[in-house]
Order: sequence, then C-alpha cells, then structure tokens
Amino acid sequence: MAIDERHHDARLKKARGMSYGIGLLKGMAITLRHLFKHNSVIQYPDERQDLSPRTRGVIALKEENCTVCMLCARECPDWCIYIDSHKETLPPKREGGRQRKRNVLDRFAIDYALCMYCGICVEVCPYDALFWSREFEYAEYDIRNLTHEKEKLSDWMSTVLPPPELEDGALLPGQPEPAVAGNGAPAPAAQAPTQPATASGAGDPSGTQTKQAAPPAASGDSDATQPSNTASLRETPSPAAPAAEATPPPEKAAETPPAAAPPAETPKAAEPKAAEPEPEAEPEPAKLSDEVVAQYQAEPGPNVEVPHEAPHPVALERTEDPEAVYQQVLQEQKDKGSSPQVAEARAKVARVKAERGIKRGPTPVEVEKPVPSAPTKGRPAEPEPGGAPEAKGIEPEPGPVAPTDEEKS
Amino acid sequence: MYEINLVGIEFTITAWQLLIVKLLVILTVVPVGALAGGYAMHKELGHLQHRLGPMYAGGFHGWAQTLADGLKFIYKEDIIPANADKRVFTLAPAIIFVPVMLLFLVIPIDRSLIIEDLDVGLFYLLAIGSVGVIGVLMAGWSSANKYALIGALRSAAQLIAYELPIVLTAATVAMLAGTLSITGIVEAQDWPFILWPPGIGLIAFLIFLVGAIAEMNLPPFDMPVAESEIITGAFTEYSGMRFIFGFFFAEMAHIVAFSGIAATLFLGGYRPIVPWAPLENIPGVIWFFGKFAFMFFFIIWVRFTFPRLREDQLQKFAWKFMIPASLALVLAAGAWVLYAPESLWR
Amino acid sequence: MARTGEFIPDSSEISKQISTGRMQTEEMVLNVGPQHPATHGVFRLLATIDGEVLTNAEPIIGYMHRGYEKLVEARDYRQITNLVSRMDWLSGINNELPLAMSIEKLMGLEVPPRAQYLRVILCEMNRILNHLMFFASFGAELGAITPTFYAFREREDIQYVMETVTGGRMHFGFFRPGGLKEDVPKGFYAAALASVRQVIDRLYQYEDLLTGNEIFKGRTIGVGVLDKETAYSYGVTGPIARGSGIDMDVRKDEPYLVYDHFDFNVHTGPNGDCFDRFWVLVHEVVESARIVEQAIEAIPSGPIMGKVPRVVQAPEGEVYVRTENPLGELGFYLVSDGGNKPYRMKIRTPSYNNVSALPAVLKGTMVADMIAILGSFFFVLGDIDR
Repeated sequence: MAIDERHHDARLKKARGMSYGIGLLKGMAITLRHLFKHNSVIQYPDERQDLSPRTRGVIALKEENCTVCMLCARECPDWCIYIDSHKETLPPKREGGRQRKRNVLDRFAIDYALCMYCGICVEVCPYDALFWSREFEYAEYDIRNLTHEKEKLSDWMSTVLPPPELEDGALLPGQPEPAVAGNGAPAPAAQAPTQPATASGAGDPSGTQTKQAAPPAASGDSDATQPSNTASLRETPSPAAPAAEATPPPEKAAETPPAAAPPAETPKAAEPKAAEPEPEAEPEPAKLSDEVVAQYQAEPGPNVEVPHEAPHPVALERTEDPEAVYQQVLQEQKDKGSSPQVAEARAKVARVKAERGIKRGPTPVEVEKPVPSAPTKGRPAEPEPGGAPEAKGIEPEPGPVAPTDEEKS
Repeated sequence: MYEINLVGIEFTITAWQLLIVKLLVILTVVPVGALAGGYAMHKELGHLQHRLGPMYAGGFHGWAQTLADGLKFIYKEDIIPANADKRVFTLAPAIIFVPVMLLFLVIPIDRSLIIEDLDVGLFYLLAIGSVGVIGVLMAGWSSANKYALIGALRSAAQLIAYELPIVLTAATVAMLAGTLSITGIVEAQDWPFILWPPGIGLIAFLIFLVGAIAEMNLPPFDMPVAESEIITGAFTEYSGMRFIFGFFFAEMAHIVAFSGIAATLFLGGYRPIVPWAPLENIPGVIWFFGKFAFMFFFIIWVRFTFPRLREDQLQKFAWKFMIPASLALVLAAGAWVLYAPESLWR
Repeated sequence: MARTGEFIPDSSEISKQISTGRMQTEEMVLNVGPQHPATHGVFRLLATIDGEVLTNAEPIIGYMHRGYEKLVEARDYRQITNLVSRMDWLSGINNELPLAMSIEKLMGLEVPPRAQYLRVILCEMNRILNHLMFFASFGAELGAITPTFYAFREREDIQYVMETVTGGRMHFGFFRPGGLKEDVPKGFYAAALASVRQVIDRLYQYEDLLTGNEIFKGRTIGVGVLDKETAYSYGVTGPIARGSGIDMDVRKDEPYLVYDHFDFNVHTGPNGDCFDRFWVLVHEVVESARIVEQAIEAIPSGPIMGKVPRVVQAPEGEVYVRTENPLGELGFYLVSDGGNKPYRMKIRTPSYNNVSALPAVLKGTMVADMIAILGSFFFVLGDIDR
C-alpha cells in the first residue's frame, strides 16, 4: 500500500494548505445546490414511512397457540411479561382413559413501559404464539395503560405481516448446506434471472438506480486512493439487482419519487404465501440435482468445515422374542391397572425395543400420585395452591397520585 | 399644515397627524417585516438543509410559524434572576430593539416613499446602529451569570471591531455620491455602486457585507451567541417577551434593515439595476424589494453554510484585514472623486 | 476600585504587570456540563480558565453509569446481547460482536462463513453510521449546522436497511453466539450497496463543505494536538489514535471475522490535531464502504448459525477478545464458571481511554478551542460510563 499511503499523505497535506477562499465559495455552492434538490422529507403524520416487516414495533399474541410454557416470561431481560394461568382437566378422550390436563391462560400482559423491544420472547416461543408487528403508535397519556393485556395483544395480531423472503444464498430448510464457499458469487447470479420480476415498476427504477450509482461512484472514487478492485465493482452490477423491488432502495434525491411510493409496494410484492403468518420459511426447498448434491458433499471447500456426525449403527442383539415381550408387557400393565390404551402403547414400545435389541428397563407403571388440581381415583381434588393470584381484571394498582372522584367513576 | 397629493387625492394634514402616521407605519412595518423575515429565513434554511422548514402553523406551508412563536412567548413567565440588577435587566432588550426599529426611518422604498428624509441619513444610520452595543453589555452584565458575561464581553468587542469597516465603507459610498442623504445616494446611482466605479464599489460592498454580518452577530461571526458553547451568550437568562424582543426580533429586524440598507447603498435602491430605459417602467418598489430579497437571501445563505470563527480569529480578521482594507478603500474613493475625469462619472 | 489619589495604571502598565505576574488575575472555574449541548451526553468538564485560556481541565464521568458489568452477571448471553448494544449506542452492532466472539472462543464454536460475511457487512455499515454522526456533531459544534442535516439524511438510508434486517434502527440485538439471529431479507444486497454507494457519492460534497472550508481549517488545524507518546500512554485507540499517527487497527493487526479477505486502507494523520482526526474519520467511511462492497461481492451461501447447543453455556475459563469498534478498540474479558451467565465480564471501552487523554490535550488551549477538541474526541457517554 505504499503508493496509496503517499497519495493519501499528499492529499492530506494539500487539504491542510491554503485555499484562499475557494473553499468558502465551494461550500456555498453546495448548500445552494441543495436548495433546488428534491426534498426527501416524509411529513408525518400525513405521510408515513413504509416500515419493514421485521420492524420491532409491538408484540402481538396469538392466544390459541399459547400453552403457557412461560418461556417468554422467563427469558425476558426486563421481566415485563406477566402471565397467570391455571390447570384445567378435561374429560378423557376415550372411556376409561386418563383425564387430560391443560394449561389455561388467564392473564398475559406485556408491560411496554419496561419492554426493551429486544425480541427474545418472540424468538424463544416454541409454539409461535408471539409475533412482531410494526405498529408503533400506541403512546398513552397514562403509563398504566402501557401494560397491554391479552385482548389488546390479540388485537395487534391483525397488523402482523408475514416474514419477508430471504435473500439469495440463505439456507432454506430442506436444502443441503453448500460445501464450497466460492459458489457464493455465481449462485446468486444464477438465481437472479429466475427471480419473479414482480412490481417491476418499482424494480426498474431501483435497478437502474444501482447502475446509476456505480458511475457516480466511479467518478467519486477516482479522487480517492482506491485500489484496482473498484474497477471490477463498477462493471458488475450488484448481485440481486432485479430483486431490489422488495426492500425499498434509498432515494436518489433528484430522480426518485418520495419514499412513500416504491416501499408501498413491498407488502404486495412480497406476496404473503399464507394468510396466517408463520415464522418458518415456507417456500418449497429448491430441488438440486443429484450430481450437484454429490459434488457438494464430496468436496468440502477450504473455508468451510461442515460438522456432521457419521451415523454409528447400533449393534443388534436380539435376546428376546418381540411378540412374547409384547404379550408379557401387556399383561403386566393390565394387572397393574393401567388403562387399555396405555397398556397397549407401552407394550408396543417394548416390542420395538426388543426388535432392535435395545435394552429396556422395567416398563413404567401408573403410580397413584396425588396431583393437586386433578382429582385421581379415590381421592378428592386438593384445594388450589397459593401461588399466582387470580387476575382480577385490568384494574391497575393505584399509583402515588390518588385518583380524583371524576377518575374513580 | 402639509398639503399632500396621494394617488390623485389632495388633502391637508397637520404635522402632528403626520407624525402619528409615521409612527404607526414604523410600528407595523417593523414587526411585520421581522415576522415575515423570520418565516423566510426558516423556509430558506429548511430548503438549504434538504428539508422543508415550517409546514404546519397556519395551514399553507406554515406561514404563521413565527407569529405562533411570538404568541407563545407572550405566555411565558417573566423570569428575572434573583441576583440580577433588575432595572438594567429590564431595560437592556429595549435598548437593543428600539435602535433597530429606528433604522427603518431612512430607508427609501420608492422615490419620496421614505418615512423621514433626513439630510444626514447615512450618518444617522451609522450612529443609531452603534447604540445596540450598550444594550448587549447591559444584558450580559446584569444577568449575574458567568456565561452571559463572557458572551457580552465577546459581543461588545466584536461589535466595536466591526463597526469601523461599516463606517468606513459607508463613508466611501458617501464620498462617491457626494451626499449623506440616503435619497441623494440612491439618486447618484445611475449605475449601482457595486458595478461602478469598478473594483472600489465591489470591494466596498463585500467589506460592508462582512461587517454587517458581524454587527448582527450572525455566523460566521456569532461567537457571542455561540449556542453550542455558551448557550446564548448575553441573553442566557432572558426568557419570554424580553428574550424575543432583545434577541430574536431584534436580530430579524436587524437583518431586514441591513438588507435594505445594503440594497440601498450599493445596489441602487429603488432604481433599476442598469440604466436601461425599458426597465424604468417597473415600479421602484418592485426593484427595491427584489434587491432587498436578494440581499436577505444572501445573508441567510452565508449564515447557515459556515462554521464560526474563533474570537481571536474574528478580531484578527477585523483589525488586521478589514480595517486596513477599508482605509485603503477610502483613499481609493477619494482619489477617484478628486481625479477621475467627469466623463467617467456615470 | 480606585480611591481618589490612587495611581491608576494605564493599559501598557497593566499588561506589563500581568506578564511579570505582579497583578492578580483570578482564575475562573467553569463547569462545562453535565448539561451542555457540546458534550455528547452527560459529561462534565471542570475547566479552570484564565481569561480565555484553559489552565486545567478535569473530566468528571459517571453520570451515566448503569452498572453493566454487574447487570450482565445476572443475565444469560442472549439477554446480554441486547443490553450491550446500549453501551456505545451509535455503533450498536459493533458492541455485540466481541460478546459473541468471546463466547464462541470459549466454547470453540465455528461460525459459518456466510454469517461472518454478514457480520462484517453489518459492522461496517454501523461504522459508517457512527462516523457520519460524529461528522454531523463536529460541524454543529463549530457552528456549521448544515452538514448535520446532510449527514443525518445519509444515515437514514443506512438505518432503514439495518431496520429491514434486524428490526431496529439503533439497538439491534442481532448477533448470537455461533452466528446470526436470522438471515437477511430479499433485496438486502441491493439496498445495502445502494445506500453505501450513495453515502460515498455525497461524502465528497460534504467533505468540501467542512474540510475544504477555510474557517473550519482555521478552527481545527493546529488545535488540540495529541502527540503520539501521550496517545500511547493513555491507551488511546481508534480514529483519534490514528489521527495522531499511530498506525493501529485491530482489523489489520489481529484480523477477526473475515477481515483478512478484504482489501482496505488504514488512514493515519501525522499531525494529531483536530483536522487530522476529522480527516481520518471521513476517510474511514470510504474504507468501510469499500469493505461492504467487497463483502457483498463475495458473500457465500449457507447457514447463518453454526452448531450451537440450545442452552448456551460457556465452559469454565476466561478469554479476552478485542475488536475495532468505530470509536476504538473494544475488548470483552469474559470469565465463565460453566453456567449460562457470565461470572465476570469486564468491558474495555474505547471512549474511556480516549477521554482520559483530554486533560493533557486541553491544557493551554482557549475556551473556543475546547469545544472543537471535545467534538473531535469522538466519545459516547454510554461507552465511558457503561
């Protein structure tokens, strides 16, 4: 980098030297130019910016998916999720079966006065009950109203957008991992022509935009100390240029219409595949031909270590006859008093283990344990334990300022 | 008793009534001018900075923004610091604002459309313009605040330093025109002084402009009111109407006044820009406002483009560069007046 | 106040007496801050001034201490990721990087290449954001408010791109030990390239507005000189150190992520004054843009998360990881006792050391220069106080 260093030092020296007032005039010319440029101001609240689907605005709750596993409340760094629940028992599915226990959600509240919008709760929920929505206009005059209860959280569900399509080169579920790092550049380029050119109206200006960006970058770059690979950057357009319609490109001030127009087409262009938002990427995995797959798996590239476990077969040693085991365990269970379905299931498991030669321990037998909420055979239901108090409704604690009579009524 | 012929109507008016009319004109023109100037500044500033400026207040592109600001300030509590010298504190904004208002007395909008056509108009302008320094010192001293004191001292030093170039270039103009009366100066400008005599007029104009920007405490000479350093300098402790009158209003009115003065002294006032016959058809008012608007735009443009000069750089610039240059200019103008042949004049 | 009959010296006498030390002039103690528009946050500088000259300057910090190093002892690593981006809030994602890297080092996790490239792209974009912010604030402190708006306009575009990827504009919470939280959405390559290229297009204009301006040069050349030895002794890093001529950049000296794949310069300025620091700042933006371009060119396909157990527990041990935060060298010293929370995490922040060099630089300067120097010592209060 010796040449660049010298050039750079020379530039610095020149910049520090005398310029006799020319700099002042140049500065004035620049501000004057901006006087006549197109404005990029979005006049809120008359105009609104089209935010991305991932924008962390507010968290929405899908009540039917919640199983009250409490993972979100546990993982929240601010402990701002308040969950109350109780266990209910449902009648058994079949006659003589075991009563089913289910968690019922009583209260699910997120205190947005505490929430730091990190998204860990959304990320960690195993049942996809929490979603991000990009609404942010829920400021309140009273801080107590910032605790959204589950009704309000469910209302936010209508504003949740489906997740955006992932960029070229992302690993979609079902795809084998590409082993060669160098495939990165050709792969997106190869996939680029196959991308649907939806919302081409928005795509073309942005596509030409990026190409337009390159020549000015060339003229701008030539001033600076740039090594030779910028030359290559100028020729090759950006890899996913036709795919630029989705995420709104930034405005070239003089040319593009205000920011509202191209981004407005994003939700339509993204073509939500499912009516209900699902966080997993749903498009079908790209089908790669066998030769390509073989090539991927055969030659791991230099930069990538694909850790994978070689399957280790278990030695099969059949010592027992599977059928005999089945009958034996079935009888055992029936003697001990398990319900027929349970006995059958356990016997089947024992048979499979015997087939595979896996050692099996004693099959479990139902033990009469008193479960607090569910009445078992011959025992009355125990009273509900202390623990979480019932949610009484959305009446918050009175704060330090006592409510006036008007407010009380 | 005066006999006046106004747009074809003849009527007589006593001296007292004329005085009241003149006072009313001043009392309306100055605030309206300051408000409109403030609005224009906000809009220009916005667009220079790639944004829009006021858009909301009053509906159409926020025309009532400065009016709303002024009204808001009326509602503010009148706070006087406990340690402040009360009489001086309350008097200071008046001493800053009233001279600025009085500047408007001698600016002609059109032939004979001048509030008071003084024979010593230019002298009057320069004299009145210097009174504001005392007001700033009073404001800073009476505030009982270290920052305000620093600001006031800086301001006083700067104003005094830049008073001289203004006076000297104005003297140059007076020499070239041969009179101190403002209308006389405008009438002497068949070709505006900025174009003729070549060089002298242009340099005088530039020096006058720089001096004027410094007089008004505008960037790049706004050390005294450097917001990011000593908050508002001499006016730190002021709030409400006092602040508005002493600082914001006075500044805006001052910019408006000086734009008008610069347009009058150097650009030809209400006369056409070049002495070409068809241009005479456009009324003088339009010419004046056009030139005034250009000067205003230029001052605001310079104001928002440059960082501010440090105090010692400011002083160095004034004493080591501006004043010698304006002295040389006076010499040059004198030489021109004495020795240039008659045919070259106009 | 002289009484009648007392001799009142004239001005030449007075100046003679001051210079020979016989006349008493009092030094004024000026409190710059903690509420002051020029300091980036609640920062207090106890300045003793004699007329217009500073004789002593003592920075007083701690107004924003939030107890990070204690907070993180009670939170697991994913929660810490979200906390830590609030330290140096202008370069949010660069704070999460050494955290993720330290855990990966302790656990021996392998980060897939695509994740590493994406990390580089996001970090460099954040560097541009940070430098543009200081570009804006430096101009504003010197009185040029117009470049502030221009720089913020450029920041908007980049922040929008970051929002489409991470969901946030300032606090991202995107890096995880072993990779990233999720992959980037469609259109990211184009949008990132376009926004970065636009910054570079316009940067030369804005640079003219400031570094080409004679007034700016008069305010910054020769002002606030930080010489190499002082910088070394205080442990100053980042653009400030490079402005003093120290050729130090963790991305080049101990490359992490995939920085050794990229071709970029490290700018230094020989003089160590405000102008050189500013020059280095502006040109680092150009370098970051080049890195982003090269990274997008070369980004591979693949997963963005390595093989990470569900509960991230670092094994017992300690590790020190340092990265090049936009403001300097950010280091995380992580001591783990085998659980999913750190036992002790000491965070070495760049602004702390940078600010400690302030007294040495500020002595003997003028009050107006003090503002220029404060502005050129790019620091963020959250970084100093944690």
